[in-house]
Amino acid sequence: MIRKFIAGILTAAMVMGLTACGQSADASGQTSASAGGKTIRVAIWDNNQLKGLQQIADKWGQENGYKVEFDVLGWDSYWTMLEAGVSGGEMPDVFWMHSANALKFENSGVLLPLNDYIEKDDAIDMDNYFEGITDLYTKDGVYYAIPKDHDTIAVVYNKKIFDKYGVDYPDDNWTWEDFADAAMTISQKGADDGIYGTYCNVGNDQDTWYNIVYSYGGKVISDDKKSSGYDDPKTIEAMKFVANKIIPACPPQDAMASTGGDTMFFSGLIGMLCQGSWVVNNFYTADNASDYAWAMLPYADVNDDGKCEKEERCSIYNGLGWSIYAQTKNPDAAWSLISALGSKEGQTEQSELGITMSSYKGLSDSFINAYKGMDISAFVKIEDEETLVFKPYSKSAGIWEPDVEDILVSAWTNPGTMEEVLAKCAETMNTTIAEE
Amino acid sequence: MSARKRSESIWGLLFVLPTIIGLLVLNYYPIVQIVYQSFCKTGDFGLGNVFIGFGNYAKLFKDPEVYRCLWNSIKYSVLSIPLTLLIPLVLAVLLNKKIKFRDFYRTVYFLPMVCAPAAVAMVWKWMYNQDYGLLNHLLGRKISWVTDPKIAMLSVVVVGVWSAIGNNMILFLGGLQEIPKDYYEAAQIDGCTGVKAFFHITVPLISPMLFFVLQTGIIGALQLFDLPFMIMDNSSRAWPSVKTITYLFYEYAFEKSNRGYGSAIVMFTMAVIGVITIILQKSEKKWVCYD
Repeated sequence: MIRKFIAGILTAAMVMGLTACGQSADASGQTSASAGGKTIRVAIWDNNQLKGLQQIADKWGQENGYKVEFDVLGWDSYWTMLEAGVSGGEMPDVFWMHSANALKFENSGVLLPLNDYIEKDDAIDMDNYFEGITDLYTKDGVYYAIPKDHDTIAVVYNKKIFDKYGVDYPDDNWTWEDFADAAMTISQKGADDGIYGTYCNVGNDQDTWYNIVYSYGGKVISDDKKSSGYDDPKTIEAMKFVANKIIPACPPQDAMASTGGDTMFFSGLIGMLCQGSWVVNNFYTADNASDYAWAMLPYADVNDDGKCEKEERCSIYNGLGWSIYAQTKNPDAAWSLISALGSKEGQTEQSELGITMSSYKGLSDSFINAYKGMDISAFVKIEDEETLVFKPYSKSAGIWEPDVEDILVSAWTNPGTMEEVLAKCAETMNTTIAEE
Repeated sequence: MSARKRSESIWGLLFVLPTIIGLLVLNYYPIVQIVYQSFCKTGDFGLGNVFIGFGNYAKLFKDPEVYRCLWNSIKYSVLSIPLTLLIPLVLAVLLNKKIKFRDFYRTVYFLPMVCAPAAVAMVWKWMYNQDYGLLNHLLGRKISWVTDPKIAMLSVVVVGVWSAIGNNMILFLGGLQEIPKDYYEAAQIDGCTGVKAFFHITVPLISPMLFFVLQTGIIGALQLFDLPFMIMDNSSRAWPSVKTITYLFYEYAFEKSNRGYGSAIVMFTMAVIGVITIILQKSEKKWVCYD
């Protein structure tokens, strides 16, 4: 009798537990459905931009009666999350798009086509943005994202280290050879202090060695995006320069595989670094920010005339886009949000808050002004006077880019083998592209 | 079946139902999916799978990277399993005696089990750092713990063993306490004490527990993923010699979103683990004593 009684109680408890779970699930389902009209979920991967973007989004939210929730993930888990989210149906309403994966998402039915919205919205005109970025997010005349930002590259250097070893500061007339020589001098003189001239690991493609490749006239991928550029003689020449002059001036590859370049730079162990405009804030807010200064990327004097021709100084540029999930419950609200972020006002605010340089043309100066006391005009000068090259991509960029980095590790540890390693890169990349 | 028995079995079923449903939904459905996908060229976002028969497997058997990663997993198992048996067993025997601060030691050795594995890995990563890490600082040397292909695997093994000691020790302690004291007393009268008693009484009587720990240990070691992933950087030149078969699966299934090939890799891994398990089970009769 007693046992039955206990069993009865336990069962009741279990059933209640189950229904309670069910209820709470229902309840939360309901709240998200009713407030679902009131919450827009946004996914991004860069924590540095969260504060500023939240500010712009909150302003939009107050005007339109929505709450904007940001999810920040790491780069790798961001794409895993989107991939799994599409299969599982659990997706943010609005999220960033990037050249590494954009072509895969476009035409897949995952991104909301934006043409109708753009037509009806006076705030958005696609001609106002940098062409490379608009092109990236347009496929067969359909717009899949509103350009969010663009970025360029510049050299940041630690004045204290240059002073200590008596090396001249980088200036706008520097060639990559000068850059490498200065870096080497610092590495040699600083050997006892554990200080190195510069830092360039395999993963520093967009901010460092891609720029060198294009300045030397090389390329990473052919113009039709059908074949690898790693077997191009000019690419090989540029990469040999990286192998013979840049890598020896860096910390040993083992050290670079253990500690990041920015970490070492902030610790006063690196003389200069090539960095993208999207990380300026880290350097601006660093403890020793007053020691840091920026210079334009060096150029490659390919024709040996001692002058910089426009195509001899290249900065890779890239731009993110704001995309909307095709099956979002609130397409209109989501559009309204990205329209606010992509409009001239939103883009101006993004620049003025110093979040990133905007994709809207002609606003870069307000970005410079956001960083009072630190001259970052090098980022804008290069786009006004020199050549911008859009970050190389194809549909499978998300695969071949990390593959090439993996293969290059052996050339980084053994720079003499660069040419053979590049042949392997080209082969792997071509195989991947062929399967697109 | 009597009414009472029937009622009992119905209730019994009802009570295990949540677990059964959980297993079906979270374990068996994915297994079926994996088997199916391993025969497909999977489309982006899990859409548009095309059946290609044994295509993925044909590619897999010709892929040197699969063998290299499998070999890495085996290497990890061979290096770590003996240590995760031996050290905890010795510790358990020592901590089963009435010694001072026994509870303190038990707690200390079990503590790593309580820490989140990712946090453990992050701390070790910092300690292993070649230029700024604690280990090299203490040793006054510059050892490339996780970037030298020759020793990187050992460094990972150390962390793995360190994390596993606590759990295995508790299992062995449980096993030791099952052994009746009479055996030791009887043996003592016959002049068998200390190390002899350990090998002739303790080891045979604890062999079921040893077998359990060995088997689950091998399966766990062959599925190693988190430690290399957390401790090492992709740009480490030692990475190819540490990358495990489970990581290769992760790389294909998630980073390169080639689920079909990823599934084939994981099926292959499962087959390898299956074969090893069968061999172990066959060997069980030869050395494991159940009284």
